[in-house]
Amino acid sequence: MSARTADAVVIGAGVLGAAAAFHLARAGHRVIVVDRGAPGREGSGTTAGNLHVQAVHTRRPGQEVPLDSARFLPLQRAASDRWEKVEAELDASVELRRSGGFTIAETPEQRAELIAKHAWEERAGIATEVLDGDGARAALPLLGPTVTAATWCPLDGYANPLLTTPAYLAAAVRHGAQVRPFSPVRAVERSGSGWRVTAGTDAPIETPRVLDVAGPWLGEIAALAGIRLAMTPVAIQMHVTVRLPETLRHLVQHIGEGLSVKQVTAGNLLVGGGWPARRFDPDGRSPISAASVLGNMAQAARVLPFVRELRLLRAWAGPLAATPDEMPVIGEVPGAPGFLVAGGTYAFTFAPLWGETLRCLAEGTAPPVDVHDLGPDRLITPVSFEEAR
Amino acid sequence: MTVSHDVLSHGVLSRDVLVVGGGPAGLSAAARLAAAGLTVAIADEQPELGGQYFRRPSPAVLRAHGDHRPEGGRLIARVRELGVDCLTGHLVWGVADDGRTLFATAPDGAAVRLRARHVIVATGAYERTHPFPGWQLPGVTTPGFAQHLAAADGTPVGRRVLVAGSGPFLLPVACSLLDAGAEVIGVAEAGHPYTPSLRATAALRHPARLRELAGYMARLARARVPIWQGRVVTGASGDDSVSAVTLAATADPSRPVGTFAVDAVCVGYGFRPQTELARLLGCEIRADAATGDAAPVTDAFGRTSRPGVYVVGEAAGIGGVHLARARGRLTAAHILAARGGGDRREIVRLAARTRALGRFTALGEALYPSPAALQDALVSALPDETVVCRCEAVTASDVRAAATDRAGGDLNAAKSWSRAGMGPCQGRFCGFAVAGLVRAARGGERGEPVFPARQPVRPVPVETLLALGEQEPEGDAA
Amino acid sequence: MSVTRITVDGEPVDATAGSSLTAAFVAARRWRLRDNPVSGEPRGPFCGMGVCFECEVTVDGRPGVRACLTRVVPGMTVETGAPVETGPPSVGTRP
Repeated sequence: MSARTADAVVIGAGVLGAAAAFHLARAGHRVIVVDRGAPGREGSGTTAGNLHVQAVHTRRPGQEVPLDSARFLPLQRAASDRWEKVEAELDASVELRRSGGFTIAETPEQRAELIAKHAWEERAGIATEVLDGDGARAALPLLGPTVTAATWCPLDGYANPLLTTPAYLAAAVRHGAQVRPFSPVRAVERSGSGWRVTAGTDAPIETPRVLDVAGPWLGEIAALAGIRLAMTPVAIQMHVTVRLPETLRHLVQHIGEGLSVKQVTAGNLLVGGGWPARRFDPDGRSPISAASVLGNMAQAARVLPFVRELRLLRAWAGPLAATPDEMPVIGEVPGAPGFLVAGGTYAFTFAPLWGETLRCLAEGTAPPVDVHDLGPDRLITPVSFEEAR
Repeated sequence: MTVSHDVLSHGVLSRDVLVVGGGPAGLSAAARLAAAGLTVAIADEQPELGGQYFRRPSPAVLRAHGDHRPEGGRLIARVRELGVDCLTGHLVWGVADDGRTLFATAPDGAAVRLRARHVIVATGAYERTHPFPGWQLPGVTTPGFAQHLAAADGTPVGRRVLVAGSGPFLLPVACSLLDAGAEVIGVAEAGHPYTPSLRATAALRHPARLRELAGYMARLARARVPIWQGRVVTGASGDDSVSAVTLAATADPSRPVGTFAVDAVCVGYGFRPQTELARLLGCEIRADAATGDAAPVTDAFGRTSRPGVYVVGEAAGIGGVHLARARGRLTAAHILAARGGGDRREIVRLAARTRALGRFTALGEALYPSPAALQDALVSALPDETVVCRCEAVTASDVRAAATDRAGGDLNAAKSWSRAGMGPCQGRFCGFAVAGLVRAARGGERGEPVFPARQPVRPVPVETLLALGEQEPEGDAA
Repeated sequence: MSVTRITVDGEPVDATAGSSLTAAFVAARRWRLRDNPVSGEPRGPFCGMGVCFECEVTVDGRPGVRACLTRVVPGMTVETGAPVETGPPSVGTRP
């Protein structure tokens, strides 16, 4: 078979890969997107689709290093702004909604954290409002008596993840991108000054740029190119109740614990917050943990007592790739020119921003936000990374 | 009936053996094990033991007509006499992280953890249905529902009823409907099982089965109920409930051959194993090429890929009541032998009996069309507007579009995009049809036969989850 | 003694004590037990064995009860047609 060529090969047809492919293709680059399975099926197909604009809680259950909220918030702000252009530039609805969200606190420490986070948000230009327990219950009477404080952010929102990735891919294809599903990458090798990517049964692709946006498989793909990255694939759980009439219009999160609750368009209540599945299964069948079901649903019922009256319909696990410092990773791998990676938690919120940023990094132009400290260099030698802290 | 509180310690019930499912197989296993002195509990979602085959008649029917299946009543009585804890009305819906402790919800919503050295999954079967336009109308039911209504509740499903589908079960259902006072306008069988030549061949091999079928056919003939062979239901219509049903040739489902006025239609194509619990327990599952169903991989003793987990009866593969009971007893005898007791001769005898009954079943199945082939034919002829997923009202065209445009022929992706299988029945009634539509979109290549099993097996009250969380007993951890 | 009265949507219905609640509906020709939440089409009992969830009704104030798994008890009150879970009134007040 003779080799094909492309200006960029995007590995992973999740929301990040789809967004990057769109931005590259729209700028006139010849892009091939490959995926081991169906597009948007893994993390991007199992996420709740929240747009997290106010500060998120800094520890997922089981997470060791807390997230650096002060650094994260300006990125969230930029990501939030970037979502505003998505539906117009894709010429498609992704059900983008800014229905606002509450982040709640129960303990005095959590309340103090809410107040601190409010100050960072003000600095980042994100409007939030601090409410005491009664104020929070006046604003959202569904909240239970254990809530002692809350912040309200009108920008918190939602986009339908089942529409977003396909819309990005369709727009990329309209701009000439090729999408190759069910084509697992078998080899990524240096070839001259560029790369040769072999995926599925297709002929190898010669390309100057590889974008590794393979989510939980990001590290595995990098390893094919001889690059070791400290990324940990984890599977987290989502829980969905039976349908109910429109009851909860806002996103409800917890500042000190992994909890996010919202009602989806179909009427079901979606409960998540990063509780771990029993294990991560690379073949996409991560089994759920009953302990996480019980823990996550108990929190939800404590914070929103009406949840007690509902029935749990289904639980599932979706994968994500976590960095050791919980901060996103985006940039070129040092010593591997043309090999770019992007990933980490909250990838859905960041997808539009990272799609454009990846295009800029691939072209060597200035990205819309400064990401010099988010590069993969810090993941290459975890020991020196720890020492650096 | 709720289990008394003295058998529960902080919401935990621990026994030597836990049987999930109180039908013929589960009852047979439980009786044998309890008789040998083991502590046994049976959990079943139904309000009474018996499963579907030994479903107990209501008290009024018992008084008026007696017991249509007295052996079921005797078996249940024996299980109770032997001191088996009978957790009726208990829904077993999940598995703890240790992979062994089962979660159940009691009739009052209370939470129960079930633990046992030996877990016997006897979750039985449910009816194999194929979507057709209008199958979601009230008055369209499974034949099994009509059978229960007639035999256990003395109530005919309708006044003018059409019975359709495939398999031997349609005949006794039609007879029960006659007994309950319904007019049966006809029995439509998708295949051509009832031909003189096949009868003769079958009669040589297993006269008992033929006698049974011949008895039903004679009863239908006396009542002038026609049996139409090579016919399938392709449409039902009506306003608030069904008022008309359309038949077509199995060979060409797109061309109707007749429409009939009815007030009830019962359509079923045999039975499928209920495997969700076995799959949640991690038992290996295999797609059956002939039936298109997913069945757990078991050996002759009901052992699965998970040590200490057994699957018996219809949940291990459809074979009828006699085979189900024999498999239940054989698994029980094996467990006793593995514990250093039991009787080797009993095992040899039961193993021979299950083999013979298995051959019997295979011969019976050979009379009827291959369920997998029939499903493929019906799915490919399914009109676009047909509601495939009843719960989420997802049509065949929705599934086809999702499968081709977005899912790249991946079953789970097609579920995500279309929402088919996301409702409270968890894809039990649409899963195989959705898999067929996805397969057709992929050009016929076989993939997953049905959606993966997920916890909870049925929707479960959040109250139950909270109670389980509060109990926090040791030993659930992986 | 076995014929009893139950209340269905406020109306008295004759039923047989100890028989399944679906049998009482079928005998009374009350097929339409609920409307599908997506399509709004009428639905009624289908499988009769607890799998399809088409016969969910509210029994004595408890929603989401499958009629096919429920025995008739004298005096029971049944509501059909209601959504499975009603939830509290919609009260999100923020703009």
